[in-house]
Amino acid sequence: MVNVLTPRSPERAPDPLPGAPAGHGRRRGRHRETVVAYLFLAPALLFFAVFLLLPLGFALLLSVSRWTGFDLGAIEPVGPDNFAALLADGSTFLVPVLTNTLLFALGTVALALTGSVVVATCVDRLRFQGLWRTLYFLPIVTTVVAVGNVWKYMYEPGGLANGVLNALGLGSVAFLQDPDTALPSVVVVQAWASLGSAILVLTAGLKSIPASYHEAAALDGAGPGTVFRRITLPLLRPSLLFVCVTQFLTGLQSFALITVMTRGGPGDATNVAALEMYRLAFDHGDWGTASAAAFVLFAVVLVVTLAQLRVFRRAGEDA
Amino acid sequence: MTPSRRHFALALPSALLAAGCAAPHRGTGRPGDPIVLTLLSHYASGTLHQALKGPVDEWNATHDRVKVRTKAVEFTDLLTTFMVRQAAGQGADILHPYCLWNGQLVRAGVLRPAPPEHAERIRRDYGAAAVGAVTVDGTVYGYPTEAQTYALYYNRRLLREAGIAGPPATWPELEDAAYRTTRRDRYGNPLVQGFGLSANDDATTVGQTLALLHAAGGRFVTPDGRSTAIDAPAGRAVLALEHRLVTRGASAPAVNVYQAFPSGRVAMVVGAGWWTGSLRPLMGGDYRDVGVAPVPVPAPGARPATLATGFMLGVNTASRHPREAWEFLRWLNADRVTARNGTAATRMSMLQVSAGSLTARADDMRALLGTGADPNLRPFLDALDYAVPEPNGPGAARAKTLLRKNIEALWTGRSSVEEALRTTRRQVDQEVSRPW
Repeated sequence: MVNVLTPRSPERAPDPLPGAPAGHGRRRGRHRETVVAYLFLAPALLFFAVFLLLPLGFALLLSVSRWTGFDLGAIEPVGPDNFAALLADGSTFLVPVLTNTLLFALGTVALALTGSVVVATCVDRLRFQGLWRTLYFLPIVTTVVAVGNVWKYMYEPGGLANGVLNALGLGSVAFLQDPDTALPSVVVVQAWASLGSAILVLTAGLKSIPASYHEAAALDGAGPGTVFRRITLPLLRPSLLFVCVTQFLTGLQSFALITVMTRGGPGDATNVAALEMYRLAFDHGDWGTASAAAFVLFAVVLVVTLAQLRVFRRAGEDA
Repeated sequence: MTPSRRHFALALPSALLAAGCAAPHRGTGRPGDPIVLTLLSHYASGTLHQALKGPVDEWNATHDRVKVRTKAVEFTDLLTTFMVRQAAGQGADILHPYCLWNGQLVRAGVLRPAPPEHAERIRRDYGAAAVGAVTVDGTVYGYPTEAQTYALYYNRRLLREAGIAGPPATWPELEDAAYRTTRRDRYGNPLVQGFGLSANDDATTVGQTLALLHAAGGRFVTPDGRSTAIDAPAGRAVLALEHRLVTRGASAPAVNVYQAFPSGRVAMVVGAGWWTGSLRPLMGGDYRDVGVAPVPVPAPGARPATLATGFMLGVNTASRHPREAWEFLRWLNADRVTARNGTAATRMSMLQVSAGSLTARADDMRALLGTGADPNLRPFLDALDYAVPEPNGPGAARAKTLLRKNIEALWTGRSSVEEALRTTRRQVDQEVSRPW
């Protein structure tokens, strides 16, 4: 197929027809190229319209309506009532659901980022780096249901985690059943499961740091700690920003792991926004409140992401 | 591109789009073009799938004008599938919902009221709990199918080893048996729970609590379904009982009771009748240690009561052939046929018994279970006479979830009995009084 978008070189451009104005021909050609370009873009634009703009508009409509999820003709406008219900005194959406969501995301980012920096730095100095990266990447390709269930069994009163504690002479801990330990326990699993992708990004970032910087620092007498703090970490900032933003977004929207491990319990101890929205919509047929909750979460995600970008930009990283 | 190719390239997507968007042909009922009714249920696999297939095949073989096609999804996907298909204009003619959802489905205009002759037959032939479960605001919406009542499962061996002769009949006996059968290792890990409390999901967590609540003469919501009634002496007594069992170590909600009981690590647990069908193959020879007794009552001589839940078969308001759909439901649920052992019962009753379950037609159940059936089913059958139906108003599912959260908060020490009752009342009242 001829690539009609490729600009023709002047010497190969055909002469305008005798008698036809040259400018008009060029305009027609450019117009045709624009049309063809839009035709090529059409599938992608259609995809976005159908799977992004349409649901977004529908969710916006539902957030100010009452709808039970069955009959499209029964959507009843209620104004800001759904938002008011979410933010009303006594509503569990802000506390504990939204606070759990933020704590879950923050905890996951903190653990995964720290762990992945340590592991990526170690892997960068080892032989068989591909093997190590593959091993750490395995949780990513494992289904969340399997990961959640295996960890759930490990956390059980007679499970591996309590077995280790008992072997050390310590008493058992009801990891997932004690409201004080349930959320941190799930955070650990989410961080463990997302370690692989973070390590992959960070090892690529480490590889892009020229070895000459480390050599020059070593010649100047800088120790490993100073080199890591003054050279490696600052030059790793773009990768850290990417990992930080993507992990945080994933954490804020997390749903599957919590569903498998705790279903939001005990009580509301591990209930997060995505799970609450799912329940409101699919279990209780309250699509209006669920959509309003989605927009509140969207606002939170937007604010947090902008704040992250601003912090990193201030620190010298132009995202 | 040649013209024929261009035409083909245009025609293919158009044809696919038209095929995807078009409603399936449901027939006219004329000779050679039978009406096709769709039935959407959760009988997706195992014995229930096979059990439903039998009568549907029989109907299709004996009826030329109307055929029935079943569609099945897992129970966890059933309500979502109802919603999605209904919104897409592809709702099934016959629906098989969990009765807890009935208020929600009626409010959404999905369920069609039963015609008077069917409603009359349902009120006449089924127990009060089953009729209550399929009734919303005084209107009957379908035929009750499987009926679940709650009773006390106990492990004979564990009770015997603790020197207890039989199952407890009262709460003091229950507590005593629970403490005597409990065993833990030196690190506090439960080896045997005296009384299992399930924190598995809404159904099991709330089900066992409501069974005990009804046994104490209490109710979760008022009869009109507009406010909660659990914040009363009976509710206080039930939550206090569960709280004592947890704090004194006889119950460990951390352990999955549905795994621990079959492996002989739970002495007693309140559960629904369907579990017998699962326990028997799971436990093999050890199933002989399992006994079932009515839910204990607070004091000797108190009137027995428990919780009843269930499913029903109803007709979609969007069905184009409601008369035919009700006719099929009558044939399946009301017409009596003779079973192999010579007893007469409805096809639905035979279907449920063959799958190890029950219907709310006590006469059918007694005839079909006869003398050779699992004796553990008998207490569930007897409970049909005195069980209280689960609330099924528009906010019932949400109210159930809110109650579960407050029960779990109590078990985990996050709230006291009084706080749990107060919070439940405030949250549930707000939910059930919403103007839908």
